[in-house]
Amino acid sequence: MPRSQPGTSVIVFEPNLCTGCRYCEIACAVWHCGEIDVTRSRIRILFDEGRATERYAAVNCQHCDDALCCAVCPSEALQKDEKTGWVTQNSTKCVGCEMCIVACPLSVPFFDAELKVAQKCDFCLGAPECVKHCSSGALRLCAREEAVQVNARLYLSAKDDR
Amino acid sequence: MSAQSTRIFRFDASGCNGCDIEVLEASALVSLGELGIEIVERPEDANLLIVTGGSNLKSKRELENAYSGMQAPKTVVAVGSCAATMGIFKGGYAMAGPIDTIIPIDLYITGCPPRPQVILAALADVLHLNVEGMAELLRTPQGFRGDPHVDQDKCVGCGACAHVCPADAIEIAGNGSERRVRFMHKDCIFCGSCQDVCPSEAVELRAGRKEWFQAKDASLSEARLSVGACILCGAPYVPGAQLTWALRRIDEKVAVDTADRNALQRSLNVCPRCRRKNIGEVREAKGILASLARRSST
Repeated sequence: MPRSQPGTSVIVFEPNLCTGCRYCEIACAVWHCGEIDVTRSRIRILFDEGRATERYAAVNCQHCDDALCCAVCPSEALQKDEKTGWVTQNSTKCVGCEMCIVACPLSVPFFDAELKVAQKCDFCLGAPECVKHCSSGALRLCAREEAVQVNARLYLSAKDDR
Repeated sequence: MSAQSTRIFRFDASGCNGCDIEVLEASALVSLGELGIEIVERPEDANLLIVTGGSNLKSKRELENAYSGMQAPKTVVAVGSCAATMGIFKGGYAMAGPIDTIIPIDLYITGCPPRPQVILAALADVLHLNVEGMAELLRTPQGFRGDPHVDQDKCVGCGACAHVCPADAIEIAGNGSERRVRFMHKDCIFCGSCQDVCPSEAVELRAGRKEWFQAKDASLSEARLSVGACILCGAPYVPGAQLTWALRRIDEKVAVDTADRNALQRSLNVCPRCRRKNIGEVREAKGILASLARRSST
């Protein structure tokens, strides 16, 4: 499986900074679809007031090394770009089998019923709109090496040795 | 109907004329006179109607008139994809068909267009004629695409074939616990797109076609898959075969340790709606990805 070259960056989400404004969803939908249709937004913010802690979460692509979506894609529509580190989807190659949607634990790719293909975050080809429009700094660009540490701190407990 | 009394009237119900040319070709393959078949110029003289095209608003009334004017016993043969389903004209604003919603059809001949040899053989079949050398005429040329066959054991029920099928010939149906993938005979144009995209190589176009049929909902091939339910919401999700396929593919390509693999296997059984709806699930998923990323980076 292809991996990113050193020096690439990814989007990280700090739940304790998020205000739940969901500007990122709107910016994403406008950039990708030309309209405010957040159902087709590539990022999704969850907010649950009922929870004591961890009230916010974001469904956003991690642009993984060893990406599971790329591993299961039968038509090479999902590809890891080693130079930029992005996992992008090619709509002309996608056959709509929904394997990536099943394989990604976050289900970042979603099925576009109109085009009959899967759609996912493409890093806005360089300058992610969600990051640009995040006023609280919950979403930020971060070097991949640092993001590994941040995400391990946020989502893996200390004794979690996996 | 005896062979002596077959009088054919050809009706073009607004097709592209591809099938009409093949019907003409078919009539040139053998001597129709020797078979006791005559092509007539008025529907009133005919007892067999060959219809091509999917019928538009203008030809609909003419078709009804032609059918009602025919002599009994009436036989109607629909030639080509358009006559069966309106083919590429399906959804067109001027269309009034398909033909069987206007007049009853006795036999469908598939293809876009069908081969002339097949038209002749189908006519011989419906008229109970014995045409000399028919088997030789019908033999499919080398490399000719045949019927799609779906392998029940290989199919994962993902539906990619249905998405790419240009003729909408593949029906994904079923109730909650079962998913059926049906290749509909009436629609199929034997293009092979389903074979090209199938992730699990379950579809194969095999030589030797069944090129005419009588029941409109006849399927060429079908697979039945049992669908698993989401472990959180209980709603039907995807066939178990698809999950197995995805996991096997992950095992082949990505080094995953046991703890991550167990977590991944659990997440595969949660439907995407639940995965994207619950904060707990999102955190769990990000944990799996964080763990995989940590492993990749070392």
